[in-house]
Amino acid sequence: MTTVVQLLPIDLSAIGKLHLTFAVIGYSIVFVSLFLLYLVFSLLPMLFTRNLRRKFKKEGGEEKAALADNKVPGEVSAAIATAISLYLEELHDQESAILTIKKVGKSYSPWNSKIYNVINFNRFQR
Amino acid sequence: MEGIVRFFENSGFANATPGHFLMILVGLIFIFLAIRYEYKPLLLVPIGFGILIGNTPFVEHTGLHLGIYEDGSVMNYLYMGVLKGIFPPLIFLGIGAMTDFSPLISNPKLILLGAAAQIGIFLTYLGAISLGFTNPESASIGIIGGADGPTAIFLSSKLAPHLIGSIAIAAYSYMALLPVIQPPIMRLLTTKQERRIKMKPPRSVSKLEKTLFPVVALLLTGFIAPGSLPLLGMLFLGNLLKESMVTKRLADTAKNTIIDIVTIILGVTIGASTQATTFLTRESIFIFVLGATAFMISTAGGVLFAKIMNFFLSPENKINPLIGAAGVSAVPDSALVVQIEGLKADPDNHLIMHAMAPNVAGVIGSAVAAGIMMSLLLK
Repeated sequence: MTTVVQLLPIDLSAIGKLHLTFAVIGYSIVFVSLFLLYLVFSLLPMLFTRNLRRKFKKEGGEEKAALADNKVPGEVSAAIATAISLYLEELHDQESAILTIKKVGKSYSPWNSKIYNVINFNRFQR
Repeated sequence: MEGIVRFFENSGFANATPGHFLMILVGLIFIFLAIRYEYKPLLLVPIGFGILIGNTPFVEHTGLHLGIYEDGSVMNYLYMGVLKGIFPPLIFLGIGAMTDFSPLISNPKLILLGAAAQIGIFLTYLGAISLGFTNPESASIGIIGGADGPTAIFLSSKLAPHLIGSIAIAAYSYMALLPVIQPPIMRLLTTKQERRIKMKPPRSVSKLEKTLFPVVALLLTGFIAPGSLPLLGMLFLGNLLKESMVTKRLADTAKNTIIDIVTIILGVTIGASTQATTFLTRESIFIFVLGATAFMISTAGGVLFAKIMNFFLSPENKINPLIGAAGVSAVPDSALVVQIEGLKADPDNHLIMHAMAPNVAGVIGSAVAAGIMMSLLLK
């Protein structure tokens, strides 16, 4: 059975040393640049933790400094954020005293008199 | 009577060729897939409709300025944004404003999977050379393996503008077909036990880390591969607009208005650029075959590298090798494929958050690869 690959005029001898070098160097540079990004962002949290530990130590001694090493999992943060959000949505301390009465009529003007009548007519129909 | 004859001669009926009908059929299939199965509808609808526009037959070079390749036509002006590489960076701006890099920051070793998956780009480059394509053409074809439409368009606009249509159509078609292409490779290269590996939940990422990321990543990648600056510069700018929290309006514009406008114009013009007279060639078929190969190699590269990494990781830090497949950028489609495959192996194992890390790393990796190719090959 003839496969698609067999139908293609593949000529492996066309791949020269230059092409291979280009591919190897290109891929290596991609890898190195992302590896450096990995290194930087692996070290950065350690740096932040060290600074935080120093700050906490100044404020509350060794006991508080140990708090800096606590890593909060993302799931915990998400749960806390959801709880805060739900709590804040439940607050009613600035609720309006008028609960049900809403002004529905429009003030009369010669410019809207026609539409005013039409609206009221529809309402009476219901 | 002469007027009627001339009218008929100028109509689509008199100028249609089998090629036109074939391309119209392709356009209709794109639109059908997008509407019926919701395969990448935001891209496939404009591209599919663009194919219909580009392949409605007409007499070229009559002074009417209709065709996308005719100087002075409306479509030609819009196509300038593609040819000059203007649209891809604008799309990257929007992508940056939409992307959350925290899965990657919380587990930086997963960045390496995004790097590993770029192997498809360079192996496909060699494949294209063996099929007789020139060096710049091969690089443009290879970048399809990055599974990133804007990057592929950007690089081919610089290195092989005559192939943009085929390359873009191949890249977007295979991105839409990711749920068909990737799973068999993922299952072939992993055992059921490996697919069941549960990964540690990612840690919380501070606002400072998220704000620093675009700045540090830009400087780092930009200094190594300056050719990637138009893409990565805009990607990280968009991300800084989002993460800084002080430019909400700009971030909203970038991720909604700008990206929507550019996607419509880009999609339509790319579709219209596939005029049967210029698109239906032997080269286009080769590009489609190479594109599929590139996607498969990139997927395999990511999965295999995850397996290699597991040799060096402690049992509690093991990686589920399925997430390696998400290294082929295509945000967030490949991460979704990983999530679905993970759930098939274990209905309680949600991998999407972990898969997003190599996924966004893949975007950076493919843009760096494009930058390197551009700096090495552009004369």
